[in-house]
Amino acid sequence: MATGVVVSPPPSAPPLPVEVKRGSLSWSSAAKIAVRELRNSRAKFAFVILSVAIGVAALIGVRGFSESFQKTLLAEARTIMSADLSARMFRQPTDEEERQLRALTATGTQRTVVTEMVSMASATNDPVPLLVSLKAIDPAVYPLYGAVELSTAENTQTTDLKRVLTDSTVVVGEDLLIRLHLHVGDMLKVGNQTYRIAATVLREPDRMSSQMGLGPRVLISRQGLERSGLLQRGSRSGERMLFKLNSQRDDIATARARLEKILPDAQVTDFRETSPALTEGLNRSTGLLSLICLVAMVLGAIGVAMAMRAHLQQRIEILAIMKSIGARSSDILRIYLFQTLLLGLIGGLLGVVLGLGVEWVFPLVLGKLLPMRPPLHLPLRSAVGGLGTGVLTTLLFCLPPLLEIRKVRPSLVLRREVEEAAGARGAWLERIREKVRESKLQWLSMLVIVAALGGIATGLSDSGAVGRWFAAGLCSALLVTLGLSALLLQVLRMFLARTRLRLPSATRHALANLYRPGNQSSAVLAALGLGVMLILAVFLLQRGVVREMKTDADPSTPNVFLIDISTQEIAGLQTLLARQQGIRGKLDTLPIISSRIASVDGVAADHLKVRNFPRRLLQSVTLTWSDELPAGSKLVTGQWWKSTDASSLAVAEHAAQRLQLHVGSKVVFDAGDRTIPVTVVATYKNDGQHIYGRSEFILPPGPLQGLPVVWYGAVHIDTAKVATMQRAVFAAYPTVTVINIADILETLEGFVGQITIVVRFLAGFSMLSGAVILASSVASTRFRRIREVVVLKTLGATRGYVARVFSVEFVVLGLLAGLVGAIFANLLARVLMHQLNVTYYVEWPATFLAVVGTAALAVITGWIASFRILGQKPLEILREQ
Amino acid sequence: MIEVRRLKKSIRNGARTVDILKGIDLHVPAGQFVAIMGASGSGKSTLLGLLAGLDAPTEGEVFIDGTSIGGMPEDALAQVRGRKIGFVFQSYQLIPTLTAFENVLLPHELNSRGDGKARARMLLESVGLGDRMHHYPVQLSGGEQQRVALARAFVVEPPIVLADEPTGNLDSVNGQHVLDLLVDRNRGVKNTLVLVTHDQQIADRADRTILLRDGLVVSDSIKAQV
Repeated sequence: MATGVVVSPPPSAPPLPVEVKRGSLSWSSAAKIAVRELRNSRAKFAFVILSVAIGVAALIGVRGFSESFQKTLLAEARTIMSADLSARMFRQPTDEEERQLRALTATGTQRTVVTEMVSMASATNDPVPLLVSLKAIDPAVYPLYGAVELSTAENTQTTDLKRVLTDSTVVVGEDLLIRLHLHVGDMLKVGNQTYRIAATVLREPDRMSSQMGLGPRVLISRQGLERSGLLQRGSRSGERMLFKLNSQRDDIATARARLEKILPDAQVTDFRETSPALTEGLNRSTGLLSLICLVAMVLGAIGVAMAMRAHLQQRIEILAIMKSIGARSSDILRIYLFQTLLLGLIGGLLGVVLGLGVEWVFPLVLGKLLPMRPPLHLPLRSAVGGLGTGVLTTLLFCLPPLLEIRKVRPSLVLRREVEEAAGARGAWLERIREKVRESKLQWLSMLVIVAALGGIATGLSDSGAVGRWFAAGLCSALLVTLGLSALLLQVLRMFLARTRLRLPSATRHALANLYRPGNQSSAVLAALGLGVMLILAVFLLQRGVVREMKTDADPSTPNVFLIDISTQEIAGLQTLLARQQGIRGKLDTLPIISSRIASVDGVAADHLKVRNFPRRLLQSVTLTWSDELPAGSKLVTGQWWKSTDASSLAVAEHAAQRLQLHVGSKVVFDAGDRTIPVTVVATYKNDGQHIYGRSEFILPPGPLQGLPVVWYGAVHIDTAKVATMQRAVFAAYPTVTVINIADILETLEGFVGQITIVVRFLAGFSMLSGAVILASSVASTRFRRIREVVVLKTLGATRGYVARVFSVEFVVLGLLAGLVGAIFANLLARVLMHQLNVTYYVEWPATFLAVVGTAALAVITGWIASFRILGQKPLEILREQ
Repeated sequence: MIEVRRLKKSIRNGARTVDILKGIDLHVPAGQFVAIMGASGSGKSTLLGLLAGLDAPTEGEVFIDGTSIGGMPEDALAQVRGRKIGFVFQSYQLIPTLTAFENVLLPHELNSRGDGKARARMLLESVGLGDRMHHYPVQLSGGEQQRVALARAFVVEPPIVLADEPTGNLDSVNGQHVLDLLVDRNRGVKNTLVLVTHDQQIADRADRTILLRDGLVVSDSIKAQV
C-alpha cells in the first residue's frame, strides 16, 4: 500500500502504538456464523451430511455385521473340533504340568479330557467280541462347542448328553447295534463291566478330528471307563485335552503357544487346522470384509470433500468480502473448521443411527440363510468408533478445500474474474510447477490424509496386511488417478483445440465446459475415478474370493470314509459301491502300511528332538505310496519323484514341522521286518478333504512293495443315501468300518455358502452406498451450472440445447472417470488378490460395465441434480449477481 | 416495438410481499433509444428483465412486436429472445469456457441457420477485437469483455437490444467506447435500444428518458427530434 508515504500524527494526538495487537474472531462468533450459514443452506449441506452418514453407516453396519457374522461362523467352525485348542498326548500330565494347566483354567479357559482307545465289546448273550473305538468323555462339559446328537430308545432325538450318559450307560454308533444285533436299552459288555445302551450317536461334532479308530463308536463317561478296568498302566489309550478359551481376552495363537510350552510333547492343534478350506475361506472373507469397510469410509470421505469444495467455491465472494473488511484467513478457517466439525458430527450421528439400523436389519433380512440374530446390546464401542472415524475423515478430507481459503483474494469483491484468471495460460509443465509451488501446504495436507487413512485402515482392518496394502494402494491410486485425470483432460483439450469449430455447437460447448474455471472437472474426475476404482475392486475381489471358495468346497469331496479294507476286499467293495445309489465318482483308495520311525538323520527315535509331537506316535506311523502328488495336495517345498523306485519321502507340512524334517533329511522306517531308508524330497499341504489327508508320509510304491497293506477308502455319496450304503457294506463286509462325515461336510459347505452370501451382500451394500455418494459428488457441481444456464437462456438457448450440452459433458466425464477407475481397480484387485492367495482374472464384462455404468451414473445423477436448474427463472439469478 | 400494459411484479420475501413494479404502462416504438433511470431498488433491472421475458410478471402484459410473451412456453420464449432481443449485462456474462469468437457465434448457432462465422468475425473486428478473437474471457480486460458481449448481442441482428448498466463496471474511456457502439448501432440499423443507467450523461444521449421511483414511472420525457 502507501509505502514511502509517512504521515505524522498531529502533536496533540497520543502516539500510535508501534505494534497493534489484533484481536481474532472468537470461537463463539465463528460458531454463530457457521451455524447460521448451515441453517440458511440446508439443502446444500444435505449432500455433505448424507455422504458422511452413508459412509459412517456403511462402516458401522458392514463392520458390525461382518464381525458378528465371523464370530458366529468361528463358533460354528470350532464345533468341528468341539474346542478352540486340543492337545493330544499318550500320558497323564506331570504334577508341574497339571499346576500350569490349572493356572490356565483359572483365567477362564475351560478344559475337558477325552480318552480314546481301541477295545473289545460284546453283547451279554453273545460272547463274540467286536473291535470298537471307545471314547471316554465328561458329559457335563463335553462338547465344548456344538452338540452330540443322540437318538434314544423312544426314537426321540436329544442333545442332552449329560442326562443320557451316566456311569452305567454308553451311547453307541448305529453300526454297532447292527453288527451285534442289539437295540437301544440292551446291555453291552465293555472290559469287565456291562453298560446299558442309552442311545445311538447321530452326530458327533468332533468326529473329523478324532483319530480314525477301528470299529464302531462307543461313547462312555470318564467314570464309566474307570469302572471298566480298561485304563491299565501301559494300555494303548490316547488323551485329548480340549480347551475353550475365554473369548473376551484370549487370542488363539498366544494361547496355543502357551499350551505348547506347558506340554512340550503334546500334539497341539487349534480349530483352524481342522478344516483348512474353511479357515482359508474365513481368512479371505475377513480380508475382503475389512476392505469393504475401508472402501465405505473412503467413499464417504470423497463425497464430503467434493461437497465441501463446491460449498466453499460458492462462498468465495463472501470470503472475499470478509477478507476485505479485515478478516484473516485464520478467522475464516475457524468458521469453516467449526462448520466442518458440525457437519461431520451431524452426519456421523445420523450414520451411527443408520448403521445400527443396518446391523439390526441385516440379520433379519438374511435370517433364513444365516444362523444370526440381531445384536442384543447397543454396540457402543463400534458406534463411538464409527462416529470418531466419520468426524476425523470429514475433517481430513476437508483440509484441502479449507486450505484454499488462504488463496482467496479480497480484490474479488471488485472483480470476480480475477480469481478465475489464475493459471489460465502458459506451458502445462510450467503450470504444474506453479501449482506445486503454490500449494505446498496442500501437498502436506495430502500426506497427512494418507498417513491418517493408513492409521485408520490399520485400526479398522482385522487383517493387518489388507490395511497396509490398502493404505499404500490408496495413496498411489490417489496420486496416479489425479495424474491420469489431468493427463486425459489435457489430451481432450488438445483434441478440442484442433477440432473446435468443426464440432457441433453443443458438443463443443460441453467439452469446453470440462475446463470450467476452478478446475472442478479434474476434481470430480479424480473423485469419481477413485470411487469407481474402489467399487470395482471390491466387486472383482468378491468374485475372485467366492470363485476360489467354491472351487475349494467341491461338492464331490468325499464324505464317507471306509476303514480297514483288505487288499482282497477292494475290488468287491468297489463293485458294491458302484451299484449303490447316490454315489458320485468312484472310491478313492489309500494304501496304509503300519510302520515306525527308527531314526532321523542318523539319530535314533528315542533321542530325537521333536516339537509338540508325542514320542509314542513315532512308534506307530502310517506310510502310503503314490506316484504323483495326490489330489487335494499342494507342494510346499521340494519336488515330487519321477521314478517309482526312488528312496524318496514326501512329508505333510505339519508333520515335517513337528519332527523338524526338511528336504534332504534322511529318515529310516521299520515296517514289518524290513528297514526302509529314505530321503525327504518334498513337503506338501493337504486340504484335509481328500483321502490322502489321512496320511502324513508318502513314498514311491517301489520301497513298500510286498509289505502287508490295509486300505482306507473315501467316496462321496448323497447324504440321504448314506444309511442304505452303510447297511449294504455292513452286510457284505462286516469288518469294514464306515465313518460318515457327510453331515459335517454339509456344515462346511453351508459355511462356505454363508460366507459367500455375506460377502456378496455386504459388497453389494458398499457398492450401492458408494454409488449414492458418487452421485452426490456429481450433484455438487450443480451450483456452478446455474449461472451458465441463465446466460444461455438469455441468449435464446432452449431446454433441449442446454440438455444436450450437459448430457455430453456428463457422459464424457463419466466415461473418463470410468476408464481411470476401471484400469486401477484391476491393478488394485490384482495386488490384493495376490495377498489373499486368490487367482486374478480380467473380468472384461464387469470392467466394461463399470465404464459404461459410470457414464450412466454421471448422466443420471447430473441430471437429477441439474433438472431444476433448467426451470429456474433467469432474472432471479441475474438479480443475485 | 415494445408495449407494456399494467405491468406489476411482486416477490415474496418470507412472509412479506414486496411490490417491485406497481403498474407500468409503456410504449416503445421501433428504433427508439430509451434510457431508464432511477435510484437503486426502483425496479429498473426488473422492468428490463420482464421486457426480455427473463421472468414472468405478477400482473399485466408485455408485447414484443405485437405478440404477448406472457404465458408463452419456455422454449418459445427462448426463441423470441434469441431472434428478437440482444441482451447486454453489467457484468458481461460471457461463457468463460468459450473463446471470444465462440461466445459471439453462440447466439447465431442457437437461433439462426447458415454459417455465422463471417458475421461473428466482422462484428468482433467492428468492435476493435479482430486480434483477440481466440482469447478466452479471462484473458480480456473488462472493456474488451463488454465489447465481446456487444458483438454477441448484435450477431443475430435483433430488432431490440436491452442493456442493463452496460458501462457500470467500466472506466470512462471504455464506458464511452461501449456506449458509442450501442448508440451507433441504434442510429445505424434503427434497432430499439432500452438501456438502464444511473448516469445522466448517458441518459442525455437517449431519445427518451423514463424515471422510475418505487416501482412507478414518475417521469417520461421525449427529447425533441433534431
